[in-house]
Amino acid sequence: MSIVSGEARFQPLFDRWAASVRRRLLARRVLTGLAVGLALAVAPAIVAWRTRHGALRPVCVSLGILGAAAGALVARRKRWSDVDVALWLDDRLETEEAITTAVALPGAAEEDDFRAVVVTTATSALTKADATRVRPTVLRPLHALAPIAAAALVVLARAPLPPAPVVAQAPGEARVQLAQVEGLKRVAKLAEARARDPQQRERLDQIARDAEKLRADLEKGMEKREALDRIAKLRDAIAAERLTLGEGEKRAGLEAAISKLQQSETTKDAAKALGDHDLEKMDAEMERIANAREQRDREEAKRTLEDAAAAAKAAGAPDVAKALEDEKKSFEERERRAEALRDLEKAMEDAGVASNEQKSEAETLDRKGTDEAAKKLADAMGKALEKLTPEQRKKLAEKLAKQAKKGGATQSDPQDLKDMAKDLSTPEGQKKLEDELKDMADADDESAEAQGEGQLGDAEQGADGAEGDINGQGQQPGEGQGPGSGKGHGEMPIPLPGNGGSNDASGDGNGSAGHHHDTGTGPHNGHTNQVDADSLRSRARGPISHAPGMPGSTSGWTPGKNGGTANVQGTGGLTAAAPGEIDGVDHSDVPKEYREQVRQYFQP
Amino acid sequence: MSNDFELRLQQAKGAVVRLREAIATVIVGQTDVVDQVMWGLAAGGHVLLEGAPGLGKTLLVRTLAQCLDLRFSRIQFTPDLMPSDVVGTNVLVMDAAQRAAGSMFQVQKGPIFGQVVLADEINRATPKTQSALLEAMAEHAVTIAGQRHVLEEPFFVLATENPIEMEGTYPLPEAQLDRFLLKVVVPNPSEDDLCEVLVRTTGRAPAAPPRVIDREAVLALRDMCRDVAVAEPVLRYAARLVRASDPTVSEAPELVKRAVRYGAGVRGAQSLVLAGKAVALCEGRANVSFDDLRRVAKPALRHRLIRSFEGEADGTTTDSLVDALLAAVPTRPAAVEAERPRAEARRA
Repeated sequence: MSIVSGEARFQPLFDRWAASVRRRLLARRVLTGLAVGLALAVAPAIVAWRTRHGALRPVCVSLGILGAAAGALVARRKRWSDVDVALWLDDRLETEEAITTAVALPGAAEEDDFRAVVVTTATSALTKADATRVRPTVLRPLHALAPIAAAALVVLARAPLPPAPVVAQAPGEARVQLAQVEGLKRVAKLAEARARDPQQRERLDQIARDAEKLRADLEKGMEKREALDRIAKLRDAIAAERLTLGEGEKRAGLEAAISKLQQSETTKDAAKALGDHDLEKMDAEMERIANAREQRDREEAKRTLEDAAAAAKAAGAPDVAKALEDEKKSFEERERRAEALRDLEKAMEDAGVASNEQKSEAETLDRKGTDEAAKKLADAMGKALEKLTPEQRKKLAEKLAKQAKKGGATQSDPQDLKDMAKDLSTPEGQKKLEDELKDMADADDESAEAQGEGQLGDAEQGADGAEGDINGQGQQPGEGQGPGSGKGHGEMPIPLPGNGGSNDASGDGNGSAGHHHDTGTGPHNGHTNQVDADSLRSRARGPISHAPGMPGSTSGWTPGKNGGTANVQGTGGLTAAAPGEIDGVDHSDVPKEYREQVRQYFQP
Repeated sequence: MSNDFELRLQQAKGAVVRLREAIATVIVGQTDVVDQVMWGLAAGGHVLLEGAPGLGKTLLVRTLAQCLDLRFSRIQFTPDLMPSDVVGTNVLVMDAAQRAAGSMFQVQKGPIFGQVVLADEINRATPKTQSALLEAMAEHAVTIAGQRHVLEEPFFVLATENPIEMEGTYPLPEAQLDRFLLKVVVPNPSEDDLCEVLVRTTGRAPAAPPRVIDREAVLALRDMCRDVAVAEPVLRYAARLVRASDPTVSEAPELVKRAVRYGAGVRGAQSLVLAGKAVALCEGRANVSFDDLRRVAKPALRHRLIRSFEGEADGTTTDSLVDALLAAVPTRPAAVEAERPRAEARRA
């Protein structure tokens, strides 16, 4: 065997073995990377499953592929050199580093006797080498992770996603959707309500717009709490609007008017109602006086209204003055109507054509003095007139003519009586009179301010109704009072002594969560013993003060004025100013009506 | 050519085997000692034999000299031995004819002029006399009265010494110890070997051993030894071993850092590789293996490690230091080393 042939045989033999060794090392590192990558992929796959990101689960497998690629990269970077492979082969084949020497020793074999011998020895060893002995192991215990992790990934990828956690909604988060909210329509009608001035017109329009917008939002659906919040704002705005008469700089005018009204016993209640900004109540009070039979009271009331209007105007409250003047006009209309009705009723009674109903309504008008009573009387008289025979009509006309000559049974205009008598002389005139009586029955004599106040009240009730509608629909689980016990909420709040049955309405309706309306049909047949006046043992005996309420005062922040300073030193903002400092705080008395309320509260 | 070389390798191996067998006819057991002496002979280095009196050190050297057919001389070192007693001196010429020719002095060569020199109980002489061997061992030449005399090859010094703890001994200076390629520790014989010694030494005197190798064969052996191939990884292993014996380097084992004052130097690495080559040659191989280096590590390095005070105090031997080095320094690169246990496990 020549040296050259030995060298020629050694190199390809060595290269083949080296390639085999390197391939196995590469396979091992790729497998290791794959196993580690797949094992790492399990964690994000679990997270994706738990968080119900199902689409991400298969993507996690790419971590395994990445791991395999990383393993290949590492294998390439840590690739064994020829000398490393030779050392490995020498160790496995126990060739005393002959292969290493043959690979590492520089120079050609033919130039070196010793190297030639070494190459021959190495070639011989490689030729006889046993593959199972020489090849590095590929599989490691770590590689067992690969199939386990792959199986886990498959299971995770196929497993159904867990149900979404039930998150308890915060109170009021429930959505509410209402197609029709009648209450908001009533609020929206404020756009057509009478306005005292352009500023109020603008405010009322704004309230109406807000109500319309809320209604539109409710149709689409919105959060209950937001809906309730907006309803509350609407209610606040309406309530504030009811208090705008004579507020702010016009307060003094209002106070002056109230003071004037209080000076008369007749209009004291009206003064109180005005102080409470309850113009409807004031109007009702004036209505009672206007329909009263006593002329002296009516005259005094008219005069007091005139004085109050003048005082309000003088004190810089034209709106209060105008309201009082309107009230006076309305008063006069009512007075005239009541007088006419009374004259006609007197004449009919004298003529013996008055019906029983008419008489009853006339008594009611005298007793209550309300517009309603006057209207009912007019209605009853109209009906009675329809039934008159020509003789009775003639007789009635005569009675009216006689009253006109006397100057009327009341303080009505005698010319009016003459006209009525003349009208009754013909059937057409009678028909005309009947129509006039019907008009009286249908007439609305309320003052303009009272009408506006009534519209605001109606809007406020509408807002209440809308709130009720929303609360009725927007219940959500857990928000109510829990499962009903079947008894409902029928118990009376105050137990009263009774002989029979139970005082609590033990309804047998099926209670349900939330504000279930009680439809219980339990017995309500108990009764309370009659209270004997002699047996009354307790009575409030507090000292009664007939004097006006004690003076008091309130302090509040006022808007700054041009040129004004917060305080004497002029150092700070308006909100830092103390009472008494220039322009800082507006000082005002506690409203008299409030003091009056307090005083009356303690009155027995 | 390669076939011729392989033949010469086999001849060399055969000669060593014959020499070993010839020695074995006289020396009972001590095969490791005989092998190490062979390595020293093949590598062309000198060997220091250390052992208690009566273990056959002198007999081994005498037998070796008889088997090699080389000129043998013995120097018995004693405390009053002078350097001139070793290397020789000029003496006055008494012959009238020579004096008439102008030569008043002639060189009287000392025992160092032998080919196999036995420096018996070398540590009993004073350091001055011991140092007389330095030039001869290092340069294979001596200078007598200003005149340099080259020693005849092969020149092979075999020194014996008793352990230095014994009475009346002088420790060899490090410079001289360094001149020895190997330091061979002669152990006590085993029971069987001792019985055989008793049989051979208490009967009739045995026959002289045969001369199995002549001078030319020894020179050829030494010549071939230098040609034995060493791969770079094997050389690097030798270098790493020697570097790790230096307590100042980070790779040194903890025991070395604690118990060694000076590590083996360049001569230690040279000795390691040269002795490794001798081992490969004696076994008929053309290249040195890691195992060759590991086998010669103790005899080549044990006399080159200077222990620290702490090492000496706690009784750390140089052999245990070499063991620590062999355990700590990996033979192959880390990647290949990491694969070995798995392969071994698979084989098991």
